[in-house]
Amino acid sequence: MSIRDAGFLSRSRILAVVTSRPFLTFAIVALVWIVASFVSRGFGAYGHLRYLVELAAVIGIVAAGQTFVVIAGGIDLSVAAIVTVAAVGLPLFAIDADPTGLTPILAVLAMTTAIGLVNGLGVALLRVHPMIMTLAMATFLQGLLIIIAGGSAVTAANPLVSWVGNARPFGVPAGILVWVVISFVVLVVMHATPFGARLFAMGAGPLAAKLSGVPIASTTMAVYGISGFMSGLAGIIVLGMNGQGYVGIGDPYLLASIAAVVLGGTSILGGLGTYAGSIPGAILLVTITALITVVNASPGWRSILFGTLILALLLLSGREAARR
Amino acid sequence: MSDASISPHARSGSLYWAIQARRNIGVRGLFVVVLAFMVAYGFLFHGLFTGSGFAKFTQSWFPLALVAMAQVILMLTGGISLAIGALVSLGAVIAATTMTGPLGVAGGTALVCLVGLGIGAATGVIVVRLRLPAIVVTLAGSFIIAGAALLVLPRPGGAMPPWLSDLLAGNTPAAFGVLVVVVLLWKLYLATPLGLSLYAAGENPVGAYRSGVPVDAARIAAYAISGLLCTGAGLFVAAQTGSGDPIIGNSFTLNSIAAAVLGGIGFLGGQGTMRGALAGSLLLSLMISVMFFLGFTPVAQYVAQGLIIIGAVAIPQFRMRAR
Repeated sequence: MSIRDAGFLSRSRILAVVTSRPFLTFAIVALVWIVASFVSRGFGAYGHLRYLVELAAVIGIVAAGQTFVVIAGGIDLSVAAIVTVAAVGLPLFAIDADPTGLTPILAVLAMTTAIGLVNGLGVALLRVHPMIMTLAMATFLQGLLIIIAGGSAVTAANPLVSWVGNARPFGVPAGILVWVVISFVVLVVMHATPFGARLFAMGAGPLAAKLSGVPIASTTMAVYGISGFMSGLAGIIVLGMNGQGYVGIGDPYLLASIAAVVLGGTSILGGLGTYAGSIPGAILLVTITALITVVNASPGWRSILFGTLILALLLLSGREAARR
Repeated sequence: MSDASISPHARSGSLYWAIQARRNIGVRGLFVVVLAFMVAYGFLFHGLFTGSGFAKFTQSWFPLALVAMAQVILMLTGGISLAIGALVSLGAVIAATTMTGPLGVAGGTALVCLVGLGIGAATGVIVVRLRLPAIVVTLAGSFIIAGAALLVLPRPGGAMPPWLSDLLAGNTPAAFGVLVVVVLLWKLYLATPLGLSLYAAGENPVGAYRSGVPVDAARIAAYAISGLLCTGAGLFVAAQTGSGDPIIGNSFTLNSIAAAVLGGIGFLGGQGTMRGALAGSLLLSLMISVMFFLGFTPVAQYVAQGLIIIGAVAIPQFRMRAR
């Protein structure tokens, strides 16, 4: 207690922050940016870095949902399919009576949240393993997408969606602003509400949490619902940035969201971690991809480099404790 | 005298079969469903009971059976692999680029097996020794392996010796024969110290370690064998199509997990049997064929597949809770 009372900037407090996983991941991002801007001309330009963060915003928002699910002890393998459903399905909800374009966005968000809730229903009540439930959901949605899109790309004639994808209020892309707001809300919910506390308890030990009075079923459903909502939001931003939605637009975000979560120091086994780590994790992923593009290698080497770098970064932040 | 020497043997024999029968309990329902699908398939496709019809059917099942086994070995030790599809592709492109070259069929096969064993063992060492989560390591590994496959063969091409394609994917049930041999080898492996450790290492790693079970060795060996099965499946796929394709294996990652889960394999390790997984892969293969013959659209196939997998997992859970 005395240490905590010694003041906000006490030595042990500073040490704890500096050696924490989120801070380390931030430090790695800063280091890579500094080195890369010396090696490659134009990498460190404000416009380029802003572009990187804009790309990271989409991964970061998907990873926000994924972080909730992973901390609660599950995993969501349907995020890519949900992103695609949102991006492709949005024009279906277009209503002429609403010139702002807000109705279709709300409808899509409600739909993707419902998809997430169904995931949670399967995991919590049917007791299907999260990996199976969400994989099966992804397969199911793949069928649905073929009905919706039939293989062709759809264009969004929605002013609000284009604004989110392209506008730059105060010189900052709207996507980044959305990410900042989401990050703030997520961090508060995760670390300063009873719901967040239940989340960590459930991930650390579901049985102990249940016996301590945590409503497992409703918390699980909420977690997958949040993941569905986030994926839907990311899908809308991607649609705005691309101008077009097509089947497969969400595919990169499955691996990216899981990698961002794990690189940020959240344990894939659940019960341990923070979204503060997933934020730099998402930026780090985009930076790695950008660097590999700079190297100008063949697709094969690019893929090998990407995998090796993630594996190397995992060694820094993803190790589990020995159990024996 | 002779009586005394026979009776312990007979007793241990009956014990063996009693245990085997007990291990069937969890998968009996699955066997019935597989049989029902088999009858439906035989009804829709009369050629099933001719020699070449049987050969064709087992050939469509064979690679799925191999990757399901590859996934199950890992899941029994408490691991999982998301790099199955990439390894199948790598096996296929290596086979298609070496077998018609100076290495020949024997050299090509040896190379495919060595690569599978080597990559599998390397994955195992990283997961076990460096204590990284298997799901993330194999996710990153799938990028590296897929990249390597692209380096070997940037676009579909290469060639397989026609006689090998005829032998493996022609009108003879050679693939089924190979599968029988693989299953027998699996039975033999389970009788070795490493094989015996497999279930123990998955069920309770700490307890097994403290009882002197070589947990780390068993897990690394499982990854190596899993890699070998995947590249082997890749070789077969290359023989089937007569050429190599660097992304041909992609769908196998998902299907291997689906087959394992249909077969009643648990994610926590140590739960399930290989016969269940083989039945699961057979069911998946039959399901795809039957839906094709019934004229299901791809959409309906996806929807039905998703529902059947969830149902297969959820129903036993309900029955367990009802008990």
